[in-house]
Amino acid sequence: MAAIAVHQFAQCITCHAWSPDHAMVAFCPNNNEVHIYKLIQEKWEKLHVLQKHDQIVSGIDWSVRSNRIVTVSHDRNSYVWNQEGSEWVPTLVILRLNRAALCVQWSPKENKFAVGSGAKTVCICYYEQENNWWVSKLIRKRHDSSVTSVAWHPNNVFLATTSTDGKCRVFSTFIKGVDIKEKKEGTSSDTKFGEQILQLDLSFSWAFGVKWSPSGNTLAYVGHNSMIYFVDDVGPSPLAQNVAFRDLPLRDVLFVSEKMVIGVGFDCNPMVFAADETGIWTFIKFLDERKTSSSGPKYGSQFSEAFGKLYGQSKYGVGNDAVESSRTRGGTHVNCINCIVPLREAGSSRITRFTTSGLDGKIVTWDLESQEDLLNYHL
Amino acid sequence: MSNTLRLYLACIRNTLDAALCLQNFPCQEVERHNKPEVELKTSPELLLNPILICRNEAEKCLIETSINSLRISLKVKQADELENILTKKFLRFLSMRAEAFQVLRRKPVQGYDISFLITNYHCEEMQKHKLIDFIVQFMEDIDKEISELKMSVNTRGRLVATEFLKQFV
Repeated sequence: MAAIAVHQFAQCITCHAWSPDHAMVAFCPNNNEVHIYKLIQEKWEKLHVLQKHDQIVSGIDWSVRSNRIVTVSHDRNSYVWNQEGSEWVPTLVILRLNRAALCVQWSPKENKFAVGSGAKTVCICYYEQENNWWVSKLIRKRHDSSVTSVAWHPNNVFLATTSTDGKCRVFSTFIKGVDIKEKKEGTSSDTKFGEQILQLDLSFSWAFGVKWSPSGNTLAYVGHNSMIYFVDDVGPSPLAQNVAFRDLPLRDVLFVSEKMVIGVGFDCNPMVFAADETGIWTFIKFLDERKTSSSGPKYGSQFSEAFGKLYGQSKYGVGNDAVESSRTRGGTHVNCINCIVPLREAGSSRITRFTTSGLDGKIVTWDLESQEDLLNYHL
Repeated sequence: MSNTLRLYLACIRNTLDAALCLQNFPCQEVERHNKPEVELKTSPELLLNPILICRNEAEKCLIETSINSLRISLKVKQADELENILTKKFLRFLSMRAEAFQVLRRKPVQGYDISFLITNYHCEEMQKHKLIDFIVQFMEDIDKEISELKMSVNTRGRLVATEFLKQFV
């Protein structure tokens, strides 16, 4: 079994994040609070409750180096929480938004964070030393609909966004005084703040869950039409691959290595996608064992119907008259999974463990080490 | 249950399974609001194409989906005027008690007899397959219920008529 730890924290979890040492977990139990739990002697204990927002918290990110938590909420606000002693002290971030904030992520250097919003804008926030204040700069008039997910390129400048208009865009977020002008590398050296580098129009439906690969060479995002998109060579001539699968759409993705992606979503079961030597991405398998008991006659209903006729309905006719119940999905998770977070080992680029949380209120830890058949892809 | 009905219900069940992929989504147009997009229809990009499933002219089912809500509207078979009036009265009785059913809409969509509105909040509280089972079970039972009602009205009518006509014998 790939799931090594399951814990029911709440009735419903919208998002979660881990502390740098993975000893504490922060999550939103589908309301305006953020709960922080710590594992003390094999038992999860509630340490803190962060109460400042007044609507549902939609995004949490915990920075690895500076140990700060950023939260965003549907109430249009964002707070940066600093630990001082045993207390978490909030600092309000003026986002200058007039609609709900939907997602948040710290940049790799942790000097900026990006907030996607329902106001069709992206806020890039950075700390201004002289004012002791988090300032936000907006990327306006680029998105035609809500921004559902943001992802930072490892170079700390490029930001990928997905939106409910079905497009995935890549922006430069170079801020003078915050980012240091890098050596002349050709494309990325002369980009201004908010400049659109790329727009991908692959999906016919809403796009969610964008992520960069660890090296920043590949971009992956999902569409609500049960497709996952992989984009190589992000720049003037990108190479895109579409992979369609037969199950329900995904909500979020995670690169565990350059060649392997985990997708989670409405199917309640993490899906593994991997690239072969030639770089062709395919669906490999479900990570969780699937209950196969009732899946038999569901898809072939017409066929079994014909069968029933053939056998004079003696075998099927009567039995099927009773209400056939729907297939239950998933095993470990029983409702939509909407958040996947890596558990990064210090000093290692590979990810073997990650956690997922969903609307069923569970946080599940998964381990890829035990999956022998995936080891070839997982380098 | 006849074979065509079973196919009709299986089709609805599979469509609902695919369509019930809802999530919390705040309103893009109005500040600090969170409303079912399928009812407001303010942003066309947040709606999916509606699906119409017809068993025949009299029985059909319209499934409209948006990012955070789904609306399913049913037209129940009405073969004659008696069935028509029974359906109308019975479904009105149910619609008036909509809060007891949670997913029932107070007013049906125009052209249909009864509508359900499922939002992301229902999907958070309830299990998805149970919700689908409820809708399908409801569709199954409503036909039975109407024909039973019709039968009892007819029986009673006959009884009353017999009693009434006895005095003339």
